[in-house]
Amino acid sequence: MTDDAGNLSIDFLAGFTIFMVAFIYVATLIPGLFIGLQSKSIDYDAVAYRTGVILAEDPGMPSNDPVYGGGWEIIPDNNKEDVMRFGLALTKDTPNILSPYKIDRFFCSTWTSDDYRTKTIFGDYPYQFNISLKDTYANTIRSIGDPLPDGYGYSRRLVKIKEDSNVTINKAQIGIPHPGYPSEYNYTSNASTQVFSIYFNYTHLTGDGPAGNAPAYQINPLSPLAEGVIINITDLNCDISNPTRKILKDPSTRVNLSDISIYRSRTLAPLHTIHSIFAHVPVYITDIPSPYSLYVDGNAITSFSPPPEVTNNISLIIPPGELSYFGAEDPNTWLNVTLKFNLTDSAGNPREDWFLNSSASKYGVFEYNYNPANNNEANWNLANITQPSLHDGILEVAVW
Amino acid sequence: MVARENGQLYTIEGISAGMIMLFTAYLVLSATSVYTPGDTHISDMQLEQIGTDALRMMNTPVNGSAESVLKESVEHYDTTGPAEFKRTFLNYVNNRTGSTPDNLHYTAMITYRNTTDNSAMSSSLASNANLTGGEHPVRVTEWVIADKQFPGSVNHPRAVLVEVLLWRD
Repeated sequence: MTDDAGNLSIDFLAGFTIFMVAFIYVATLIPGLFIGLQSKSIDYDAVAYRTGVILAEDPGMPSNDPVYGGGWEIIPDNNKEDVMRFGLALTKDTPNILSPYKIDRFFCSTWTSDDYRTKTIFGDYPYQFNISLKDTYANTIRSIGDPLPDGYGYSRRLVKIKEDSNVTINKAQIGIPHPGYPSEYNYTSNASTQVFSIYFNYTHLTGDGPAGNAPAYQINPLSPLAEGVIINITDLNCDISNPTRKILKDPSTRVNLSDISIYRSRTLAPLHTIHSIFAHVPVYITDIPSPYSLYVDGNAITSFSPPPEVTNNISLIIPPGELSYFGAEDPNTWLNVTLKFNLTDSAGNPREDWFLNSSASKYGVFEYNYNPANNNEANWNLANITQPSLHDGILEVAVW
Repeated sequence: MVARENGQLYTIEGISAGMIMLFTAYLVLSATSVYTPGDTHISDMQLEQIGTDALRMMNTPVNGSAESVLKESVEHYDTTGPAEFKRTFLNYVNNRTGSTPDNLHYTAMITYRNTTDNSAMSSSLASNANLTGGEHPVRVTEWVIADKQFPGSVNHPRAVLVEVLLWRD
């Protein structure tokens, strides 16, 4: 009789092998099964949420780079590798309040999809994305990325967008008579050269902001916020309150804007001082990038040679970062922006006449401040600066 | 002669059945959608995010000298506040970048302390739908400092809690 007690049945071997192969196959399959069911969408939602938080609540990195004198938004395209992270918030203390400059830079067409992936979405997986921002005040929608598929991770953030301050100096400020002074800014003594100055007191701007000096409502000339300002001077050909008086005594006089000079001082300047104790900041309109944009009667001006003729209005746009540059990052800066006008006859010969001038005003140069009227007499109709305001926006992030 | 059956693979039916069962199990698992607690949390989290953002933005004044919409709504909760809250809040939570608005519903309350008997008092602020019990709302809150004399309080700034239940149809 054969003793086969220690033998292994080939049936058992075959069955056990098949079972083990199947078991290993199924065991390795199960995690994949559940990934296929839900985890991808969960992951996409998480990535969209993270991206939304970064964009809405983070100022980006660098937020104040000493080389560029500002945040990531002013780093030029040729050095864009220096941008480590996008973020649209004004500061880390102002979540959901976005900087318009960062928005413009973020939606700039010079960024590639890889730039967005590596600087705001992150992760090793090559996510597709669509990021859109709706400005409900301007009723504009900006978006980047690909068209939305059927399924994607989603995050929506409600935000506010800060708008720059600006000022319009018009006939209300130019021509109102004041006891002892013929007008606010209309010089009624003849001269062939007239100057009008606007000054920025950085100490006031950074320290006396409304709502407890909250960054959201500041006119901050220093980086990292380093906001821009817009100065509009209009009604230069107007018939001021008295029909017999115009800003020009002789309507045939021609006015040419011959120069814009920018001066800074760290000491308190007497109000009527125009230039003397200030140091000239050598900037030229032909610099690239230009330190400001200038429009005269709606036409963009790129040179003072020949000096452009002024008929009705001037718009001076100082872009973000320039006030910080002009003031050399010094919070005690007084910055004086002076517009110089040459008055001529039709043949181009100097002619003395009346025109816009701040040196004859009771209050001297025009101060760009939060509430100029409070610095002077209560009933004096100085121009009010249109304060920075916040507009609603919607930020949507889709990732798949 | 008795056939030797040692070593023969005569259970091929069993093996086939096993393979079929494994394949069936694979198909069933592949076709089943398992809705886990983590998934519901994502939806809730998105609602909470939108609601929190909406209250925060309503509590942010448009400029340095204005009052926030939420503060005005709370201070006038017994007159014009509810209408203003309803208009603003719905606009915030339902607005999207695309043309199709969202479809969220809410009910809002305010809670403050009554200093006469030191009790917490609540009052309805606004709502655009009634909770029937079948919804799954999320709760979002925001503190508001109101410059108003609430019932039972002395006339100085008061902290008021705005509580919103928010859900999607």
